[in-house]
Amino acid sequence: MAGVRNRRAIRWLRFQLPELVANGVITSDTARAIDHHYEQDQPRSNFAFVVLAAIGSALVAAGIVLLIAHNWDELSRAMRTAIAFLPLLIAQALVVFTLMRRNESQPWCEAAAIFDVAAVGTAISLISQTYQLQGTFADFMRTWLLLSIAIVYLLRTTLGAIAYVIGSVLWLFARWGFLSSPGNTMLFWVLLMLVIPHVVIRFRRDRDSRETATLVIILALAALFGVGATAEFADANVGVIAYAGLSTAIYLCGMKLFPQPAGRLHPLAVLGGIAIGVVAIVLSFESSWHMTYHVTSVPRNWSTNVAVAVELLFPVAAVCLASVDLLRRRAEFSLSAALLPVVAAVAWVIANMCRFPNERFQSTRCSFAAATVLNCYALWLGIDILARGIRTNSIARANFGLLLIAALAICRFFDSDLSFVTRGIGFIIVGLGFLVANVLLFKRRTAS
Amino acid sequence: MNMLRIVVFGVVALAQLAVPAAMVWQRQQTLNHGRVWKFRTAPVDPVDVIRGRYIALRFAAEEFTAPSKFEAADNSVYAVLKEDTDGFAEIDHLTTEALRTNDAVPVESVWWYNGKQQVRFPFNKFWVAEANAAAAEHAYVENNRRDNQNAYVTVRVQRGDAALDQLYIDGQPLGDYLRAHSLR
Repeated sequence: MAGVRNRRAIRWLRFQLPELVANGVITSDTARAIDHHYEQDQPRSNFAFVVLAAIGSALVAAGIVLLIAHNWDELSRAMRTAIAFLPLLIAQALVVFTLMRRNESQPWCEAAAIFDVAAVGTAISLISQTYQLQGTFADFMRTWLLLSIAIVYLLRTTLGAIAYVIGSVLWLFARWGFLSSPGNTMLFWVLLMLVIPHVVIRFRRDRDSRETATLVIILALAALFGVGATAEFADANVGVIAYAGLSTAIYLCGMKLFPQPAGRLHPLAVLGGIAIGVVAIVLSFESSWHMTYHVTSVPRNWSTNVAVAVELLFPVAAVCLASVDLLRRRAEFSLSAALLPVVAAVAWVIANMCRFPNERFQSTRCSFAAATVLNCYALWLGIDILARGIRTNSIARANFGLLLIAALAICRFFDSDLSFVTRGIGFIIVGLGFLVANVLLFKRRTAS
Repeated sequence: MNMLRIVVFGVVALAQLAVPAAMVWQRQQTLNHGRVWKFRTAPVDPVDVIRGRYIALRFAAEEFTAPSKFEAADNSVYAVLKEDTDGFAEIDHLTTEALRTNDAVPVESVWWYNGKQQVRFPFNKFWVAEANAAAAEHAYVENNRRDNQNAYVTVRVQRGDAALDQLYIDGQPLGDYLRAHSLR
């Protein structure tokens, strides 16, 4: 029984045993044997305890810093330097101890990892302060992340990996430059790639655990931020396709890599589904398709070209993921959701058929046509999800489909010149749709 | 397998120690052997002074008259320094040549407006301890107004590396100034 075990399924099976015995399907001896067999399979360590251990060690590290920061100004530069290295040396000793004596204990590994990573950050910032070292927050984060990533692998720490991904996003925000011209954020993808092998290891070892689910969701959210920064840096008007591709890729990965019992969805697939809905609604606005004229006039360099390649990687990956299953006729995902990158690409081509206006905010016939395509698509997506929800008796799914239709209706009511009467009738229709669909679903549920 | 992990961690631990140690080493070399330059600070907008735990510095030498914009394209820019009659540093000229001398410092950004060439020196944050931040801000603002220009920093420069050494208020290092004024 090597490989992955589905904990939820095991829990369900153990819960079913008394009923199976009562119905005479299996004997009580068999039930006891099954129960005993899976008893040993329960995880030994408690995730909450691991989290508490990690928080505890972070607090100890912070406490040490606070203690030595007391009277900090009275100390000489040499003394301050020595003190800056002290928490790091203690943390490193703890890591060695953990590797030698507590290698199998997850709380020890997580706590030692967090302590070491915090100590590295402390040492760098104390040295920076003592020696008046300049440099930006982004420089500091980059050094810290690169010095910490190995710990994730050595101590097999998922909390550390999550903290690393969040740190990478902080680096991205620091580098992004919301107000000034967008900085080169391509290193973000390198930082993210460094943690991918750990995600793969975790996935192979314990696919259905909460830690793995949290890690992949944080990673997906980080990628969503990354695409935003990359699109801004690349300045090539293909951000719309990149977002469509990434949200679809997240959804398909959730469906393919984390199969769930019928009618259920992995949180990653749920996140991807929501992202697809949000992207479809955002792209239904005409302003999303206003192409900037200066993109063609600005000289491009290799880093902006790489950024464009990264952007296009996501829609290509999404289309490949969907095509493989479609060709094998094993597609369990929603086809309408998986088609978003293709629809976005078609709309992009349409939007680029007109000459670029000189004003970014100026509409063209093409931008209107592209937005119309996306409006039709979003409506189809909403109806399809609603139909799937009704078919599979899933209230959440049906309501998500309705929500999508309602969001689309609300957006169009506000950005188009419709009369109040038309808007009122529209709202009534959407509201009635919600009521009727829910009543139908609840009736069906009660009947079954 | 476990031994291998310990060996790998040994390498990682060395890197974790080496990075801050290298920062210390380079700075210490510049602080010990670099040439001292005094930079007069420029009046600041009080709301812009303290950001977290550092004083945001601006320098009088960061702006000088120039007939036309200095064209650097995408190259790094260095400022070659000279001393004025009062012994304070000012920019002699800008260059894109990577000078590794004791009188040239790298500059972060270069722009030109209305006959004035402006640059940003990379040493523009003076870190202070959290407990002193408010007092340091007050002292700096009070001694860095247009009618009371009484603050400067010393910067050691060695082979193109510029190390911010000390912030002087009213002729005293910031720490001494704060101590003297808190005792009064």
